[in-house]
Amino acid sequence: MRYAQRAGRRSLPGRPVRLATAAIVMATVLAACGGGGDDGDGGSEAGGTKAPATIPELSDEPQTLSFVWFEWPPAQALEDFANAEYTKERPNVTIEVNTVPNANWHDAMFTQFAAQQTDFDIAILDSQHIGEAVTNGNILDLTDFVEENIDVDAYDPYLLAAYGQYPQAETGQRDEDASLYGLPLLGDTWTMIYRKDLIGDEPPETWDEMIAAAQKCQDENPGVSGLAFHQANGSDAAAVTYNTVNGVYGGNLWESADKKIEGVINDEAGQKAMDVLVNEMKPLTAKGSGNWFIDEVNAAVAQGKACIAFQWIAAAGGLVDPAQSTLGTTEDEILDKLGFATLPSQDTDFVPLGGMGMHISAYAPDDRQAEALNFMKWFEQEDIQKKWAAAGGVPARTDAIQSPEFLEAGPFNQVYADSVSRMRDMWNVPEYAQLIDIENTNVNAALNGAKSPEDALNDIAEQQQGVLDGGGGGL
Amino acid sequence: MTTTTDRPVQEASPTPPAPGGSPRLSDRGLAVAFISPALLLLLGMSVFPLLWALYLSFTDYSATRATGANFVGFDNYITILTSSEVHTRALTTLVYVVGAVLLQTVLGFSIAYLISRRTRGRGALTTLFLVPMMLSPVVVGLFWKFMLDAQFGVINSMLGSLGFGQVEWLTRQRTALFSLIVVDTWQWTPFIMLIALAGLTAVPSYLYEAASIDRASEWFRFRHITLPMVWPLLLIAVMFRAIEAFRLFDLVYILTSGGPGVSTETLSFHVYKVAFLGFNTGTASAYGILMVLVVIVLAQFYLRYLNKLKEG
Repeated sequence: MRYAQRAGRRSLPGRPVRLATAAIVMATVLAACGGGGDDGDGGSEAGGTKAPATIPELSDEPQTLSFVWFEWPPAQALEDFANAEYTKERPNVTIEVNTVPNANWHDAMFTQFAAQQTDFDIAILDSQHIGEAVTNGNILDLTDFVEENIDVDAYDPYLLAAYGQYPQAETGQRDEDASLYGLPLLGDTWTMIYRKDLIGDEPPETWDEMIAAAQKCQDENPGVSGLAFHQANGSDAAAVTYNTVNGVYGGNLWESADKKIEGVINDEAGQKAMDVLVNEMKPLTAKGSGNWFIDEVNAAVAQGKACIAFQWIAAAGGLVDPAQSTLGTTEDEILDKLGFATLPSQDTDFVPLGGMGMHISAYAPDDRQAEALNFMKWFEQEDIQKKWAAAGGVPARTDAIQSPEFLEAGPFNQVYADSVSRMRDMWNVPEYAQLIDIENTNVNAALNGAKSPEDALNDIAEQQQGVLDGGGGGL
Repeated sequence: MTTTTDRPVQEASPTPPAPGGSPRLSDRGLAVAFISPALLLLLGMSVFPLLWALYLSFTDYSATRATGANFVGFDNYITILTSSEVHTRALTTLVYVVGAVLLQTVLGFSIAYLISRRTRGRGALTTLFLVPMMLSPVVVGLFWKFMLDAQFGVINSMLGSLGFGQVEWLTRQRTALFSLIVVDTWQWTPFIMLIALAGLTAVPSYLYEAASIDRASEWFRFRHITLPMVWPLLLIAVMFRAIEAFRLFDLVYILTSGGPGVSTETLSFHVYKVAFLGFNTGTASAYGILMVLVVIVLAQFYLRYLNKLKEG
């Protein structure tokens, strides 16, 4: 009898299932009716909440001020430096620099921004991320704070603008009426690394001379490739390489006022730059180097496998470390073989702007936002910037850049000092992540024979213009 | 003859609750109590996100933009289905799935067949072959990336010592996709092998004995006894692998980042880019829903074929 009753039942308890399903559907509908928008939270207003002009009262309770950056030597240098120096002023504060792989850097920050809850207080954004973060209201507007607390005349105007201003400044300038959303943390640009023992003490001065020297060096030294540079399709690797050559050959990435890319990046100068990159520079690189980025270029130089290489200055420190190099057993021995120079010029003398700024998360608690403001004010002082330079950082204040502390801290630091006036950045619009991916994949395709240089450049122009025009839903 | 006992006859009516027990905790209640945690977890972690993604797929919602979600009907679906970018990734995914699953099936079944014929060391060999499957795909991707490096990798070093030239495994269009297939095959062939081995050991030995008495050849025994017995099980393994391969992401991310260009970008990798580079959440949701639909529809056809096979 009982068996018969059981056999007649459904295998799952029907009522709870129906109730649960109804609850789920209702929750979905309610959530849907609530919309995906943001309501009420001050931090979510597009344009960003304004930071106070004066620093609010700081807490004396133990605090951990968290940064987010990507994994590379300056991240550890910053954490060590800040914990050693900032704690002299604020003993109750511990600095934590959390890192993610470079390829996840953008996603790690912006997925948390999207959730309107961040486990970091200070985001170290690439200069090109500013537009996306500002438009979505993810970071504080520091304009009033900067005006009150920062000596803006101590900086090259373009450096101050590049790491904080939105809308973006024209190359080489700063718009004093525009808002500032960040302050410089680490300046950077490319340095040319050349083998003095193979091509001579004097670096090539023009891009054409550089290619000729690389060709000659490769021909004379079997097993050593003429060039090593970033070609990978992750992060901004291949795109920065093309943008650099584009700038040197007189090209432009876009017309910012009209948001025009089609017909600009792929104009005659742009096509010439792509041709030089793919048909003159690529044949001088090592076989299989089509996915090289920072680490691989460093490895090639350290192992004596490249005549001339291009690298970010902030990532070049390991090259003079005897423990990581086969070029010598002491730093002096290595420096007898390696030279560091500013990039050769050609039709123009642009160099890529690298580095990052500090930006305060709009979702950090008030006490840590106050602490972050205090940290920024402290960090941007002249003596602290010089100490940061001595600790391996690349400062942004002119007095620190010109100081012996910086210039004598590394053999490539003079390169940075000489390059400041030559810098050019990419776009810092909200669509940056899509634009850079389009450029990376297409330049990488051209470098690896998957597309002709002309097709790649035209595809970049067409696809990037599509993104700026707002079509395609991200496809 | 009848027998009687002093003990009263037990009635068929419902047993009264045990002293001290809750009178409401019936069998049904107990079942609900046990099922509820799992059910709630499933509904909260799978069903709700799926329904939410379904809703978002009909909107232009972006997770980062503070503009809310506007209903756009089937626009996202139309955009995806008509996009040449998606067609390219679909083709790449198809080539990858067919290549990887085919290679894994042939190798997995062959290894299982050879192991099943051994009487000594079968357990140790099986365990040894299963090791790749136990590793994280990210770890597998990373060490294969080093091994396949054109300049410093051990594979090219070995080829060089045999007199072959350097091969650009990860930076050329054809070799990059091939490399992905090889790495996936290295890791997942043991899965097919394990399922096939289970099928092979379950084949009744009297069938082979009967075939031996009839002086059947080795090929005949394989063709008419082994293969038909293992085939249904093998097809289930193939289905699992095909579904897994269809949503490949990790190996692509680590080994090639979809390159050179976009030539090894699979559908899953493309969804990731749409979702997290542009934060086009609505489009990415529609893309994901379409991928789920493709898997469900193809799996249904496949299962029907399997059922027919079983009935036949």
